[in-house]
Amino acid sequence: MAYIMLTLLIGMVLGVISVASNPSPYFAALGLVLVAGVGCVVLMGHGGSFLSLVLFLIYLGGMLVVFAYCVALAAEPYPEAWGEWSVLGSVLGYLLLVVGAGSWFWGGWYEGMWVPVDELIEFSVVAADSGGVALMYSLGGGLLVVSAWVLLLTLLVVLELTRGLARGALRAV
Amino acid sequence: MTPTHFTISSAFLLGMMGLAFHRTHLLSALLCLEAMMLALFIALSLWSLQLDATGCSTAPMLMLAFSACEASAGLALLVATARTHGTGHMQALNLLQC
Repeated sequence: MAYIMLTLLIGMVLGVISVASNPSPYFAALGLVLVAGVGCVVLMGHGGSFLSLVLFLIYLGGMLVVFAYCVALAAEPYPEAWGEWSVLGSVLGYLLLVVGAGSWFWGGWYEGMWVPVDELIEFSVVAADSGGVALMYSLGGGLLVVSAWVLLLTLLVVLELTRGLARGALRAV
Repeated sequence: MTPTHFTISSAFLLGMMGLAFHRTHLLSALLCLEAMMLALFIALSLWSLQLDATGCSTAPMLMLAFSACEASAGLALLVATARTHGTGHMQALNLLQC
């Protein structure tokens, strides 16, 4: 189990390096999908299956699909993947940075540190993270209403930004 | 620092460095911003899971909703830039010059 968690955490860091090294947006979006998928499995390994499900549905199924459509705006004839020297240099630099920072800490890492201990203090019907999210609707109802207004405001912001024509500095050519 | 804590911290910092050292496309800078938001979501979720503080589970949910808002605003800016300057490249944004 510790080896599985080790592999997942290394996968997450490698995925973020593949995004941060700034290849062509096609490949950066692929790297982001990898990070989100591996992050979901990390969350599940710690017992948060509902939060992992939410991440998959909303982040991958909602936001990244929209990003994938916008990547079509960035179409170029010769996209740069991670084999290109300018991107590969960034990848190696970030890898060196992470390994260097990790070497600072790995003296104090022991086997039991990689996986959480499931402490069953009591038995319950509702899983921990699902019960916590349900608080958003009961005690946190005020913040939920405020968030709904924020989302409406964001919709109006986006519509105003992409209106174009003669208003504002950003206009259609 | 536990390995999990180190991983999510380094994921966030790597995303921030990718945002700072972006190259040609505005969209790859936005994707690095999304990677930072993802690292924050995983960090908040792991915080509430490892401390057995289930009441903190609402924080990652709300953060995901607001980061979706931020992503849509960023993409609207990208679309507006592409319509005004013709490309999504960072070199096209050169009106303010020292």
